[in-house]
Amino acid sequence: MAPLAVISLSLCFLLPLLSPAISTNSEGNALHALRRRLSDPTNVLQSWDPTLVNPCTWFHVTCDSHNHVIRLDLGNSNISGTLGPELAQLQHLQYLELYKNDISGEIPKELGNLKNLVGLDLYGNRFEGEIPKSFSGLKSLRFLRLNNNNLTGSIPRELTSLSNLKVFDVSNNDLCGTIPVDGPFGMFSMPSYANNMRLNGPELKGLVPYNFGC
Amino acid sequence: MDSTQISRFSLFITFFSCILAFSFGDNSSSTDAHWLLRIKSKLVDPAGVLESWSLRAHICSWNGLTCSHDEAFVIALNLSASTLSGSIPTELWNLVSLQTLDLSLNLITGSIPPEIGRLRNLRTLLLFANNLSGKVPTEIGLLKKLQVLRIGDNMLAAQIPRSIGNLTELRVLGLAYSQLNGSIPAEIGNLKNLVFLDLQHNSLSGFIPAEIHNCEELQNFAASNNMLDGEIPASIGKLKSLQILNLANNSLSGSIPPEISGLSNLQYLNLLGNRLNGEIPWELNHLVQLQKLDLSSNNLSGTINLLNIHLQNLQVVVFSNNALTGSIPSNFCLKNSNLQQLFLSQNKLSGGFPLGLLNCSSLQQLDLSNNNLEGELPPTIDKLENLTDLLLNNNSFNGSLPPEIGNMSNLENLYLFDNMITGSIPVEIGKLQSLSTIYLYDNQMSGSIPMELTNCASLTAIDFFGNHFSGSIPETIGKLKDLVLLQLRQNDLSGPIPPSLGYCKKLQQLALADNKLSGSLPATFRFLSQLSTITLYNNSFEGPLPDSLYSLRNLKIINFSHNKFSGTILSLTGSNSLTALDLTNNSFSGSIPSRLAISTNLGRLRLANNLLNGSIPSELGRLKELIFLDLSFNNLTGEVPSQLSTCQKLQHLLLNDNHFTGKMPSWLGSLQDLGELHLSSNNFQGQVPAELGNCSRLLKLSLHTNNLSGQIPREIGQLTSLNVLNLQRNNLSGFIPPTIQQCKKLYELRLSENWLSGPIPSEIGKLTELQVILDLSRNLLSGEIPSSLGNLLKLERLNLSFNRLGGELPSSLGQLTSLVTLNLSNNHLRGQLPSTFSGFPPTSFSGNDKLCGPPLTSCMDSAGHENNILSSTAVVCIIVAIVFTSTVICLVMIYIMLRMWCNMRKVLISNSSEGGGNGIEQIKREDQERWMYGDEKKRKGEYWRVMSSMALVPSQNHDDHISSSCIFQVKMDTKKLGI
Repeated sequence: MAPLAVISLSLCFLLPLLSPAISTNSEGNALHALRRRLSDPTNVLQSWDPTLVNPCTWFHVTCDSHNHVIRLDLGNSNISGTLGPELAQLQHLQYLELYKNDISGEIPKELGNLKNLVGLDLYGNRFEGEIPKSFSGLKSLRFLRLNNNNLTGSIPRELTSLSNLKVFDVSNNDLCGTIPVDGPFGMFSMPSYANNMRLNGPELKGLVPYNFGC
Repeated sequence: MDSTQISRFSLFITFFSCILAFSFGDNSSSTDAHWLLRIKSKLVDPAGVLESWSLRAHICSWNGLTCSHDEAFVIALNLSASTLSGSIPTELWNLVSLQTLDLSLNLITGSIPPEIGRLRNLRTLLLFANNLSGKVPTEIGLLKKLQVLRIGDNMLAAQIPRSIGNLTELRVLGLAYSQLNGSIPAEIGNLKNLVFLDLQHNSLSGFIPAEIHNCEELQNFAASNNMLDGEIPASIGKLKSLQILNLANNSLSGSIPPEISGLSNLQYLNLLGNRLNGEIPWELNHLVQLQKLDLSSNNLSGTINLLNIHLQNLQVVVFSNNALTGSIPSNFCLKNSNLQQLFLSQNKLSGGFPLGLLNCSSLQQLDLSNNNLEGELPPTIDKLENLTDLLLNNNSFNGSLPPEIGNMSNLENLYLFDNMITGSIPVEIGKLQSLSTIYLYDNQMSGSIPMELTNCASLTAIDFFGNHFSGSIPETIGKLKDLVLLQLRQNDLSGPIPPSLGYCKKLQQLALADNKLSGSLPATFRFLSQLSTITLYNNSFEGPLPDSLYSLRNLKIINFSHNKFSGTILSLTGSNSLTALDLTNNSFSGSIPSRLAISTNLGRLRLANNLLNGSIPSELGRLKELIFLDLSFNNLTGEVPSQLSTCQKLQHLLLNDNHFTGKMPSWLGSLQDLGELHLSSNNFQGQVPAELGNCSRLLKLSLHTNNLSGQIPREIGQLTSLNVLNLQRNNLSGFIPPTIQQCKKLYELRLSENWLSGPIPSEIGKLTELQVILDLSRNLLSGEIPSSLGNLLKLERLNLSFNRLGGELPSSLGQLTSLVTLNLSNNHLRGQLPSTFSGFPPTSFSGNDKLCGPPLTSCMDSAGHENNILSSTAVVCIIVAIVFTSTVICLVMIYIMLRMWCNMRKVLISNSSEGGGNGIEQIKREDQERWMYGDEKKRKGEYWRVMSSMALVPSQNHDDHISSSCIFQVKMDTKKLGI
């Protein structure tokens, strides 16, 4: 019996000893964490080797000259799974292109921390839950396309503070309430909102609550 | 052959002995001899342990045999560990007087024959550690006198026979390390005399039978590594004699029954790797004999309520990988503890460092890693004077490392990584003569690395990655003769590498990257013959590499990128084990050594941004494992050697910004894994090879700034994964192939500064993922701009300038709401600019024939005077209408608003009733309809521009101020409603 005991006990203890420090790079780790959440039947993420110094030579990842990730291009890549909070580690990210896949679950509210994000394309997936209010933190955001998902809830009024927003598309979801009129929302046309059964007309401030019918 | 001779000889012996046996009548031992000789003949005996079995000697003197006192019977046969093989001879069943049969630890194959049931006198049967297969025969239950049965460590499959319950004399039952399946038979409860029951490492499933409690004599019950499920039966607590209980690595669920406290003699309890939940029962405190307790890798929750003051015999406690919360009780240890190992990692323990442990001075190994512990490390930690291993990593400890740690003279492994520890390393650390591993990475420590650290003569691994250590690397580092790992990456270290580092002759991994280190590499590095990984990137190292580096034959990974090294790279080619060589961004000069090709496992070769000259050595074609070849931004010349075509695993080929000449190689098309091909800024000429279309995984293709000529091959359309295509600044001519529409994933397309002619193929409008840029400028493109370009809804930059495009500007371009920059200048375009273009500067449109509308001059101005100014009557009418409607508004405002709102709602619902479909497609469809039905319909879609320029005021009036005003919208609708 004694050897058994020693084996089982020493295993617990030896494991950390056998794996010395592997250098951590937060952006690479974040992307690798994303990879672990995703199912990738066509191996588009095959080149994502976490032992490399940074993720800049991984396919579908683009870095700037300081080796910070600025683009993630995984549109139309047959991937499924969910997103996690770790994407917020990509502090320099400008374009997050995950459109036309089979990604489900909620949009992590932590994405709202991506202060440099210019384009967020999550259209054509199976995202559910609400549009995170935290998106009001995306101060550089110009293009927000969330259409063709299963998003619910109302359009957060916090988004009206996104002064750079140029394109906003939430069509083909299950949103409710009314359409904001302030800030950049003065520019967006009807097709941006089409096919949301419970989404009502433009906001009539003071007369109807913005989340009317939600 | 020898073996056949032997077997012939033994056959003869057997025959002869048969005759003997018959002729000498009914003497039992001589009958046994007869059978034994036959047995001998059946077994393969390479070691000759059966050589003494011969009629020349008395049977009772034969090796492995024991006779009865009167020498009448053979009562024991012990041939353990005799390298015997073959199957169990059937003649064995004739030795009915056998009481002990031990064939363990041999290589016997075949099954255990049912005839074994004939050996009714057997008391001990040992067949363990052979290659027996098949099932355990039911007939084994006939061996009623059996006391010891050990047949494990074979390949026995099938179930444990129920008849085993008949063996009521059984004291030892060993069935471990086989492939037994099914459940543990309840009949096991009949074995009242059972002391030892070992069922480990089988595939047993089902419940642990409650009847086990009838085995009152049981001292050792081990059933680990099976698939047992269900709860641990509470009745197990009745096994008063039990000393060892090992149920590890099963699928047991439920909580640990408090009745287990009845096991008053238990010394060893192992339940690791099950699905147990609930709290650790307080009753375990009654197990006063307990020495080793492992409950790790379950789902146990609640606080730790065991107290070493009760369990004074405890030596080992493992609760790792559960969901335990709270802290460790302050009275956990008092004096006279025997606790040596305490492993609590991967739980949710909180609070500060558990001071209750400091009295466990017997502790040798303490693992609190991966918890939520916080606060400072107590200075009194040195009370744990016997501690060899202190694992506190992955917590939130803060404060500095107490100097008292220097008193823990037995400390060998110190893991503090992934905490928030600040301050410097106390000089007292130098007193730790046993210290072997110190991992402080991912903390906030600062100050210099104390020279005293190099007094820790036993150090093998130092990892300080990701702190703020400053100053220089201690000059005396060479004293650490056993150092294997030195990881100092990402600190603020400065100064040169001390030459003494070369005397750490066992060093295998040296990581000094991401610091401010300078100077050149010391020549003493030639002594680092064990070195396999050296990473120095992102420092300010300079000067040529010492020639002596050539003698480092074990180097696998070299990364010197982003420094100022100069001279040749020849001295880095001494090893034939290189897997990665990265010298990017230095000032290395000379040519690429062909000797690099001896490292046949080289996967990544990156020499970009240096001053390398000469041509690519053709020998590199031997690098069959090469995945990444980056030679960009050098002064390389000549043609790309065709031998590189044998590097079939290449995924990244970057040769841009050199002086390469010759034709663009067609063999590139054979590189099936190629994802990135950059040949830009060279002097490549000739055509873009059509074979390139075979690189179906290509994501980025950049050939710009060369002398490529001829047409863009239509095979480009086969690159269906392509994201980026850049052919600008070449001499390409002919039409843009319409096949480009198949590159559906393109987000960047640059064909500018060529001689491309003909119209822009309308198929480009199908590249709906185009985003970064579509640049067709400075070509000879003619014809009209296809209206399909209006489908590129994501496009942010469009440059069609300096072509010969003519005709009306398609109004569909107005849909390009994502456009940030636009250049249509210097063409022959005419017509009205879409209103959405009004924000672009006039230079975006200059040099055309007749474009009008904001930001250019109004179309009315350019089109004449008929329509551009309203008559004064009309103005008066409009003013009257405004005044009138404004007054009405006040009365019917709420009514109107609600009506309008309802209208909108209807619009949306009717939209949605069109159902399903892709939003973008649908929008496109709608938009196309709008183009077909003209402006009016379009305006209707944009609900608050409904009124803008069209009806009320001519085009100088603008969307912005109208759209910001609710009143105008309402007014509009009042008109619509006929007020």
